[in-house]
Amino acid sequence: MDDPRRPAVPEAGLPGGGALTTGRRVVVFGDAPGGDQQVDWARAGVRDVADSRDFTDGDVPPETLRGAGATVFAALGIAVVAADDGQLRALAAASSRPVLSVSPELVHQALDPEPGYVLGYRDGVADLTGRLLAPGGPATEPAARFADTPEATWGIQAVRADVSPYSGRGVRIAVLDTGMDLAHPDFAGRTVTARSFVAGEDAQDGHGHGTHCIGTACGPRTPAGGPRYGVAPEADIFAGKVLGNGGSGTDAGILAGINWAVTSGCPVISMSLGADVMTVHPPYSAAGRRALQQGSLIVAAAGNNADRRSGDPGFVGTPANSVEILAVGAVDQALEMAYFSARSLPGRGGQVDVAGPGWEVFSAWPLPDRYRTISGTSMATPHVAGLAALWAEATGRRGLELWATLCQESERLLLASVDAGSGLGVAPGEAVPATRGAA
Amino acid sequence: MTHVSVTVDDGHLAALDGVVQGLRARGMQVDQVLDALGIITGSAPDGALGALTTVAGVASVDEQLVHRLPPPGAPVQ
Repeated sequence: MDDPRRPAVPEAGLPGGGALTTGRRVVVFGDAPGGDQQVDWARAGVRDVADSRDFTDGDVPPETLRGAGATVFAALGIAVVAADDGQLRALAAASSRPVLSVSPELVHQALDPEPGYVLGYRDGVADLTGRLLAPGGPATEPAARFADTPEATWGIQAVRADVSPYSGRGVRIAVLDTGMDLAHPDFAGRTVTARSFVAGEDAQDGHGHGTHCIGTACGPRTPAGGPRYGVAPEADIFAGKVLGNGGSGTDAGILAGINWAVTSGCPVISMSLGADVMTVHPPYSAAGRRALQQGSLIVAAAGNNADRRSGDPGFVGTPANSVEILAVGAVDQALEMAYFSARSLPGRGGQVDVAGPGWEVFSAWPLPDRYRTISGTSMATPHVAGLAALWAEATGRRGLELWATLCQESERLLLASVDAGSGLGVAPGEAVPATRGAA
Repeated sequence: MTHVSVTVDDGHLAALDGVVQGLRARGMQVDQVLDALGIITGSAPDGALGALTTVAGVASVDEQLVHRLPPPGAPVQ
């Protein structure tokens, strides 16, 4: 009955570093199917049940908490219960509300720095200064943590798409780019809606960039000619051509593409494009805000204008520097920043929000090449767009809630937040509760 | 002529037609009305951009940017 997602917590204050517990249990209830949210405490032999609904503003006084057999926090669907295992089993059996988990109640403490922490800090600083002052400097290359395998690219492994039960099924991803190679065999049988916003050109990709980005966001689970490279293999593809075959496009086409994606009901809009312009461009802020209001999240590349090898961190350009648009930086196989990945601008809006795999990314390319390996924040962006589709499928969340989920769930990295935002975007695992947020 | 994007304020999203008429009256050639976004794109004579900002409901008038990818063979995209 204990929550299988968490390691067992030692009971009642074991010495040797175990967490302190109170002996009570914290029970998390799910929603009853019939709407009857009653819990039959008497059947489980639990008396003196205090319910937060019986107190003003739901504010349960601490003395009640200490003395009650069970304290129910109705707004949270959680109860703290003084009961043994047999009583808890009876409770689960008798209750119309499903019991999602039972965990020991922990004793929490303010986080004072322990001597061990301070000593560790001192040793760390000593080690770092020693290495920095040593002849040859800190130069050791970090070992690659991920590598392409016959099964999946390093990026697919890093974002855990290969072990996620979600596929983006039923979620529409718009990729606004140079179009798509509509004859690419890896996309045969897929739902593809293609549209060109470039005068005089159809949606067929005459550059390659768009096909590569669509491959990363939506490529198949088991492509015939190589490893898996697509994050959301069952998403519906909306390929909007807003950059011409020569690789360039204007605001008019890009905004038209966003408008099309929003009115088409795409929860995710991927834009691996930008201009090296520091100033926030008002049309993209308005477009990003209004897209979010209608349930569409715009994900854009932070930009490649850095050269960290020579100490230039660059800056997030437009449209990613609009506060209403999610900006994606690029990391390599060691989960270090790619040298070209742009850094957050000071001030509002210009920040990198999350990072994705953007170095040596294998994905689809128009025939006859079929595949190509390239690098850029352009490649990191569709990884995150694909992840957004997986989270949209897993949680039902849209817009700003989806944005928050991506960042909330991202894997924190030992990198500056100005470079990597909240860290590496990752896919939902097995244990996503089926909560559905407001649209 | 300059290519521009005109962003309409929240109070005029339901009345885009009136904004379009105002923009045309001040010399803008309107190409697209993006109703889901509240943005109108087109072009205007170089000297007319200031006049466009005076149209009721216009939040900003911005010259269109050009976005350019590296050539297909470039290692960093």
